[in-house]
Amino acid sequence: MTRLEDWLTWTLSPSLSAILVTLIFSLTLPILIHTYLYKRAVAKELPTFLLLGPSGAGKTSLLTLLSNGTPSPTHTSQAPQTATCQLPSTTRSSEDKYRSENDTSSRTQPSILLLDTPGHGKLRHHAIASLTSPTALKGLLFVVDSAVLSSAAGLTETAEYLYDVLLLLQKRHTQGKTSKGPLAIPVLLVANKQDVFTSLPAGLVKSKLEEELGKVRQTRSKGLLDSGIGMDDDGEADEESNWLGEYGAKGFKFAQMREHGVEVEVVGMSTSAEGEDEGRVHECWGWIGANV
Amino acid sequence: MLDGFEILTTSGIVLWRRHYTPISSNLIDSLVRDVFIEEKQKPGGGENGAPSYKKDRYTLRWTSAKDVGLVFVAVYQSLLHLSWIESLLTAVKGLFTKAYGQELKTPHTLKVNTAQWDPTFDALVNRLDTGSTRRQSDTIDSEGPTELTPPSSSAGDDADEPPPVPAPLFRKPAIPTKRDDVVGDSTSTDATPIPTPDTSRPATPGHAASHLLTAKGGPGKASRRSRKAQTFNASAPVSSGDESSAGRNLKGGAKTAAKGKRRWDVDGMAIEGDDDGVLDYSASATPGPENAERELDVADVNTSQMGSRTGKGQFVLKDLDDEVDAILASSSKPQQQSNATDDSTGSGLLASASSRLTSLFRNVVGGKTLTKADLQLPLQQMQTHLLSKNVAPEAATRLCQAVETDLLDQKTANYTSIESTIRDSMTKALTRMLTPTSSLDLLREVTSVTSGQGALARPYVISIVGVNGVGKSTNLSKIAFFLLQNHFRVLVVAGDTFRSGAVEQLRVHVRNLSALSQREGVGKVELFEKGYGKDAATVARDAVAFATNKGTQAPGGSGQMLYDVVLIDTAGRRHNDSRLMSSLTKFGQLANPDKVFMVGEALVGTDSVAQARNFAKEFVDTKGKLRNNGVGMDGFIISKCDTVGDMVGTLVSMVHATGIPVVFLGVGQHYGDLRGLNVGWAVDKLMK
Repeated sequence: MTRLEDWLTWTLSPSLSAILVTLIFSLTLPILIHTYLYKRAVAKELPTFLLLGPSGAGKTSLLTLLSNGTPSPTHTSQAPQTATCQLPSTTRSSEDKYRSENDTSSRTQPSILLLDTPGHGKLRHHAIASLTSPTALKGLLFVVDSAVLSSAAGLTETAEYLYDVLLLLQKRHTQGKTSKGPLAIPVLLVANKQDVFTSLPAGLVKSKLEEELGKVRQTRSKGLLDSGIGMDDDGEADEESNWLGEYGAKGFKFAQMREHGVEVEVVGMSTSAEGEDEGRVHECWGWIGANV
Repeated sequence: MLDGFEILTTSGIVLWRRHYTPISSNLIDSLVRDVFIEEKQKPGGGENGAPSYKKDRYTLRWTSAKDVGLVFVAVYQSLLHLSWIESLLTAVKGLFTKAYGQELKTPHTLKVNTAQWDPTFDALVNRLDTGSTRRQSDTIDSEGPTELTPPSSSAGDDADEPPPVPAPLFRKPAIPTKRDDVVGDSTSTDATPIPTPDTSRPATPGHAASHLLTAKGGPGKASRRSRKAQTFNASAPVSSGDESSAGRNLKGGAKTAAKGKRRWDVDGMAIEGDDDGVLDYSASATPGPENAERELDVADVNTSQMGSRTGKGQFVLKDLDDEVDAILASSSKPQQQSNATDDSTGSGLLASASSRLTSLFRNVVGGKTLTKADLQLPLQQMQTHLLSKNVAPEAATRLCQAVETDLLDQKTANYTSIESTIRDSMTKALTRMLTPTSSLDLLREVTSVTSGQGALARPYVISIVGVNGVGKSTNLSKIAFFLLQNHFRVLVVAGDTFRSGAVEQLRVHVRNLSALSQREGVGKVELFEKGYGKDAATVARDAVAFATNKGTQAPGGSGQMLYDVVLIDTAGRRHNDSRLMSSLTKFGQLANPDKVFMVGEALVGTDSVAQARNFAKEFVDTKGKLRNNGVGMDGFIISKCDTVGDMVGTLVSMVHATGIPVVFLGVGQHYGDLRGLNVGWAVDKLMK
């Protein structure tokens, strides 16, 4: 008991050793608590790639293909799904830009977060919300069904969705609040289901979509005003801001989006192709790697 | 018999599936689309809590586990009635979530190894499948005590041997079950080799003969009826010892000793007399004694044999029993449990006060798990709020129930109260209800129809319907103005041949519009009218023919389309007047419009639901199917929105009643006062 009393008296005494001990204790305790609490902290945010497209294009299938290596059977999605995956070892990422081709040192491939959204008309708000929310969105994969594009209805639906997405990206760029502007998000147009007999090749997909987008922007510019406009605030309905691409141009080309910082590339692939070339997934990976 | 079973996530990935017969993935796609996303079916229907959905000839029953985001779907033919499906679904849900729930809850996971699920599922099916529904025998009752397990359920193991010959059962193939391919799929294993197909009808007379009787003596060809009577009255156990004859209903009693093979001639009559030649087409691969042995095996109770063949199956079965019993018991009496917990939350002043304080604290801080009692009062307030915005009670109830099922047993986020959580959820539910599946772009559709190649070009026909006095003619002229501004040629048809002054009203509108369009040099508008008292349907048909102008041959060219768009006005009619409503069906069939828009005023209250429903079900095409994919109409135009201010609940009521989207809003009485629907704006107004 006296030992305890002695010790307590020592701790409250103004001796140098007691002061030193107190100082060390009070400085290291918060650090220890901090490391303990944040030991399981989440790693820094992974670069995100968003998968969108009309219903039935093959987005969820592509997600399983990219993350697992083999596609799983899928049905219509009701909810968004995320998956982390690592770039395959054969893909060159943007970090390898300054590496020589013959550099044989092992490198850990960066991992990415893939975000798959439902394509049904009523559930597109998930995709739109992900586009406008401030995540580290590095790129957009717009998946289309190449076989359905040969019919007028499928082409219209795809083009309207693509129009909405591209307009959102354009507005994000032109109406940025800061002078620096938000980071540009490149778009990869994945022409899926190339293994189907009636599918159009990637070049034809691109030209058909450009043509259809030209028509859509024509009709949208002449269409009725929204109910939200004109009743509450005016000056929103600026014709130029709602015109995709180059204002007043005759036809639409994806190159016109370049001035708004949106690079559009088209790649043809197939998620369910077996055999040679693995459905050309490596082209997808290449684009992802280049934009990580 | 079950055709297939699938377990999929809400994001669409199939975790595990078992197809006893090939099922197209379109079935489950349409289930997800129609029921979960578009909510075309009222939830909560169906017996014992497993709602059903019918498509083509299949019925799909499902259940969902919301916490892990899974949907369990069972598919079977609509002709069958399987009573054990609900218990199967409940049991599968319980067991699967217990086995794989942890894996599924970790974020960013896609791959769940479900290889061990196969034997569990097989055991479950064998346990729950009572067997009484395996063969829907109509006149002849089932074969006594033996219960054949379908060959497909043990596909995993005896894929190498052909399944036991089910010949005895097919005395009268009531349901031709095509079990040609037995595919046991799971995500991580390869497809098992397909066992030999067993067709519904035995391919060989040799097989057929095994369950048929001896030929009766008798000259010539007796009538088929007497022959059939003979075959039924007499019965002879076949030498191969199949069990069907044991359980057969013996009407007569005579057992004849001879067990000859029945042979048929081309007329379908049995050939009496001794056989001239053995017409046995069966391959030598199934020699006699082995056949008999296998059928004897089949006669035994098969479960023990399955158990002995797969020791693991037996083991799993025994373990499963307790679990499955517990799950099934708990699912059937949830009420008593909740009552018990309610009683156990102590009484007493101090306890209640402290619990109220903690709940208040939790309400502010967040992280509270929401129970039914928590949600009840705020949801009541939300429902009153919606009712004050002129939403019909039916729609408000449905929305509140959707929010409740969404939020039950969820945790509130940090620093959000229950009210704000409910508001968020309600905003999401309203947005989902009001957002159309595909937005209408009228100009695109008109151009694509009118610019069809050559002979395919035809005018675009739009008709407007609604009850009396909602603003049909006014909104029709607004649409005409909009189309004229876009350089279309419009024909306005006075289909209201009943109300005095209707034709004159439209004449005034057309005069105004043509003056406006001539001033700006756009478009052309004309009125097509046939006076009063005529049948509106014939007027419409004549108008479309006039606009198409196929008949008149201009010299040196085919008849050019005179007008691009035909707008047909109709008479206002009460939705509960069946005589007037039925004339709409004829109108729809004769005029064959591309778009049918119903005008509803924003001022109407609860009546909007009944109006929408009654009008939608009238537009049936000649085959009896509702047009536009089974909904009837193509869109709603909500008029007089400027008069209601914030109370735009009619939008919600009408969309809830029919699932048809709102396409236009009328916001004034001038020609330019037509707007499209902005869902965000509407939801803002409703939640303000």
